[in-house]
Amino acid sequence: MDKWAPIAPSKPGGPSNQHNLSSRFASVLKPSKPSARGSISSGPLVGRWPENVVLRIIDFLPVPDLPHVARSNRALARLVKDERGWEVRCKWLGLVADTSIASPKKETPTNPLQTPKKPSFSVPPSHKSRQLSTNDDDFGDFSSQANGGVGNNDVFEDVDFGDFEGAKPNGGSLNSKKENNLLDFDDLPLPSNANTAKGQQKTGFFALSPNPTPTKPKFSSQPFGYPSSAANDPPGVWYKTYQKYHLSMIPYCEILRSSPSPSSTLSLLFPSNRPLSLPDQSNLLLSLILFLSPRLQPLRDWGFLRQALLAASDRFDSTCLVAFEVSDGKKDENGMKVAAESSWKVWEAGGGSRDQWECGRVWVEKREVFYDTARWDSAENIIKVQSPTGATTRQLDFTPMDAFISHVLEAFRIDAEFAKRVFPENARVILSFCDRVASDVIGEYIHPLLSQARAVSQDLFLQATAATFVQAWKLVDLVMEVVGDEQSTIPRTKVEDTVFRMFEQHLDEYLDDETERVKHHLEDICKAWDQQLGAKDPGSRVPAGGPTFLTSDNPDQVKRNVLAGFKDALLLPVTIVPRTVTFATNAIVTGSTQAVSGLAMLNPQKWTGSNGKIVKKEAAEGGDVVFELPDSAEIVEKGEGDEVDELDEKSGYNLEVPDEKPEKEVSRATTPNGTSKEKEDSFDKLQLLVSLDTALELIQADRDSLKRAETFARYPGRAGLHVREAIEEIFILMLKAAGDRHIAPGFRIATNQMSTYKPSEHESTTSVAPLLQFFELVHIGDTIQSMIQVYFDKELSPYVDKTDFLNAVMREKKRFESVLDDAVAAGLNAGIEVLMNQVEHIIITKTGPREYYPVEGTPMDLGPTKGCREAIKCLEMHCNLLRGSTSKEVLEVFYQEVGIRLQAILQRHLKRQIISLEGGFQIIADLNTYHAFVASLKQQRITEDFANLKMLGHVYIVSDAKDLAQIVRDVTRYGGTFTPEDIYEFIQRRSDWKKIEKTVDKAMYALSVREDCVIM
Amino acid sequence: MAEKKQTVILQTSDDEQFTVEKVVAERSAMIKSMMEDLGDQEGQAIPLPNVSSSVLTKILEYCDHHKTEPLPAPDANDADDSRRKTSEIGEWDSRWIQVDQEMLFEIILAANYLDIKPLLDVGCKTVANMIKGKTPEEIRKLFNITNDFTPEEEEQIRKENEWAEE
Repeated sequence: MDKWAPIAPSKPGGPSNQHNLSSRFASVLKPSKPSARGSISSGPLVGRWPENVVLRIIDFLPVPDLPHVARSNRALARLVKDERGWEVRCKWLGLVADTSIASPKKETPTNPLQTPKKPSFSVPPSHKSRQLSTNDDDFGDFSSQANGGVGNNDVFEDVDFGDFEGAKPNGGSLNSKKENNLLDFDDLPLPSNANTAKGQQKTGFFALSPNPTPTKPKFSSQPFGYPSSAANDPPGVWYKTYQKYHLSMIPYCEILRSSPSPSSTLSLLFPSNRPLSLPDQSNLLLSLILFLSPRLQPLRDWGFLRQALLAASDRFDSTCLVAFEVSDGKKDENGMKVAAESSWKVWEAGGGSRDQWECGRVWVEKREVFYDTARWDSAENIIKVQSPTGATTRQLDFTPMDAFISHVLEAFRIDAEFAKRVFPENARVILSFCDRVASDVIGEYIHPLLSQARAVSQDLFLQATAATFVQAWKLVDLVMEVVGDEQSTIPRTKVEDTVFRMFEQHLDEYLDDETERVKHHLEDICKAWDQQLGAKDPGSRVPAGGPTFLTSDNPDQVKRNVLAGFKDALLLPVTIVPRTVTFATNAIVTGSTQAVSGLAMLNPQKWTGSNGKIVKKEAAEGGDVVFELPDSAEIVEKGEGDEVDELDEKSGYNLEVPDEKPEKEVSRATTPNGTSKEKEDSFDKLQLLVSLDTALELIQADRDSLKRAETFARYPGRAGLHVREAIEEIFILMLKAAGDRHIAPGFRIATNQMSTYKPSEHESTTSVAPLLQFFELVHIGDTIQSMIQVYFDKELSPYVDKTDFLNAVMREKKRFESVLDDAVAAGLNAGIEVLMNQVEHIIITKTGPREYYPVEGTPMDLGPTKGCREAIKCLEMHCNLLRGSTSKEVLEVFYQEVGIRLQAILQRHLKRQIISLEGGFQIIADLNTYHAFVASLKQQRITEDFANLKMLGHVYIVSDAKDLAQIVRDVTRYGGTFTPEDIYEFIQRRSDWKKIEKTVDKAMYALSVREDCVIM
Repeated sequence: MAEKKQTVILQTSDDEQFTVEKVVAERSAMIKSMMEDLGDQEGQAIPLPNVSSSVLTKILEYCDHHKTEPLPAPDANDADDSRRKTSEIGEWDSRWIQVDQEMLFEIILAANYLDIKPLLDVGCKTVANMIKGKTPEEIRKLFNITNDFTPEEEEQIRKENEWAEE
């Protein structure tokens, strides 16, 4: 509420007057209620209206209505005269309190606002006198009244009035040079201004005047001289200032009113006998525009006058334009500047009567840069290149555009800097110039280029679009450089808009094409991989240098190295603008191949003996012929053996082969060395079912597109939305390609391959080759995922809100991860199957027939049996391989599954044996070993199960049948894993079972029946 | 975004209570600063002893219609009145303000009291439009005041302001 305080009138006259009224109109007054913040309602009232409200109403009134309001009532008269209202009006006009009000010529050298008054008061004398003669009534009447009816239209009245005003006690500081005597007057309120005839009478009016001569007693019903007589208060400084200004404007309004045409208005306003400078003329027009405004409504017919004035302003603008042109012809920069500023000021104040400011527009239109475009041919940017094969391909070489752009920019810079000097900042001539250059020069250059590029090929179009945009964007930077510190009037966004607008027509097309191309490109990469994978001759496959991740000491370290390299590769710049450099071929190709080869070197598979491998890779593309020649027999065997499963998936090519398989197996069994070698080789291909190379290619191809699309990322509004959508789409396509198209099928094949693996068909016992390779695959998958994550973080995170789980990209990324997880899980599932089959196979084949029923007297070494050792070796190896490649949860599940299945295998195994008492010790030794292994997996639950299984061994070493029954019955010994019935089954495998069966039965069941009875 | 709309309770001079959305009530700088002073006192009615329920209903209608507009800066100087540059009244506002004189007066008083500057301006502009072209006698009637001038005084005032009448 404090802010209202200054409004509350503090005039000494207020309250007393108020009392007067309120007592008189008590009946109609609304009692002012005391409120919490009641400074408002408890303020002085006029009638029943709060004074500040009335003030506000008066403030909105047209000036011509004020006299009527003032005449209606004393309080209203006082409020009409209230300085606050007049101050607002003066401020609107840009006037400062004119303390030298009496001086015939206003002089306010320091005016913070854009004060229009200077010229308007340096009007020719003819106007001055005219003004005085038309308005002397206002002053004269007052004096005549004071004088007791001496009606004189003396010109000096004006001056007298001013003296009177200046002399009033609260008239403010009177520091005008002319009013030195008035200053004295103020200090000592004596009528020192006696040089005029009426000085005495006027000063006598003052309350503080010591002159007692009451010349005008009838003036007020109040005791003479009391300031509380509000209506009779002398008007304040602001009132006088406004009045003065108002009156000075009247003659001009008179001209406006009477002038038949805008041109004659101008010649009347600025008569040729006293020529005014252009800035002075513009200032006068500006004053008039401000004066005749809806805010002030200074005259009844202000609306009509304003129309006439605006028409005259238009005419004036043309005058300025002519002056500008003349100065331009004379290379008179200063003259141009003056003309431009004069024109601009009036145009700006007139407000939107034209679309564009004529002077600036004409100047911009005459710039040379618009007329020399003919010598630039944008088609030159598409060049023909002889490819190595002799065919001609078209490529982009932006050297011509470089030259063009730098020429345009140079021309623009010169003109823009000139514009900056000449034109007023607010006119934003540079901006409209920039707009014109962007659309008419650069745009005209780019449009045909793009349509031509599009006709040649989509690829070319995409490159050209991004490249031309980057070129055009240089204009923005240049404009900002020229504009310098004036960015408040020409903000960067506006400048950017000009280029955006120019380019917008290509954008949709480009975005569509870009996503489409990315789609095809990624598809092509995947297809190329599939072809390579599905090549008929397995020998033509790329033989990998072995399971890189698994064989390295620290798979994590390898992965980190790969990722670090990958990050660096992402920082490689993507060449957007193609140029002929010293490279033989197009720079874009060079750039991207550099990046690709940079990325390709990341593949750790190439770190190990890469040279030979790359050569082979190239050869592989050459075709089957090369490899079929050297050793066809071996190749055929390999192909029909291990490759069958994989190829089944691919095509019907090998469909007839499975039938032959057994025979081949037989033949292979005869040459164990050879087959094991072959097998090793063939399983390398599993690892290559998913390729880091391909993933890198995918990311690289995607990145090229993304970077191109990114050029447009700053687009605002709807177009910007499309750009960001396209960027997301590009990334999503890559995820889909990598996930659904590449990783998932690869894993599926690997899984299928594993599920058809028959342990019996292979020699090696310690390692399950497909599983081994699958683990490698998991590592690769994990690396690819990490790479994609890095790619996402580096390139895409600026456009995607990571926390927005509804975002398409985030959803797709989640999906990709889950595809990979599912693939890994499915593979592990099959892998466990394979592994456990292998383990069972080992246990079955390696356990001798009398392993647990040794011939009596055989020396016992009490170590685990061979089957046990080998099974555990096999398990240990595979379990260790997975460490560090997948998440802890997956590992735990895997280990538990291994444990549970091992338990089942062992139980089955035991039940197949015949066990003697001596063999019992062997059993216990084996079970202890298994337990130790399982314990090393650190899985609580299965460790317990194995501890219980260990206890089971005891039933084979108890010789006494009754003791045995006791043990069997004691369920707690086995921790609940086995019921007595389970154990009963196990003891049936004892070699002496026939002998002890009856005793055990009796001990167990008789006992239990009796116990049951007791319990009952 | 199931966040409940914050409301305040306003109590009028005739003891009627209005539950009002906070954004609506905040149009009144007075209520706004009062709410800030009171803090989060749920259910506490803000007394408006100077406003009757019929006027408040009308004013809330206005506040509701303008609730999305930016609030004028609390320290906006009256003299610096870019917002009042136009003497025009908005279309909705001018229809809304078509009330009898007594209501108009009440609305202006309440707007003044509640410190709703845009509304106060709408009211004042409306009154100003009513004054336009009226004689002193008509203006007296409008404000319900009497002529307390002596004829001489009135003549003096007339002379003094004659310049403005063209």
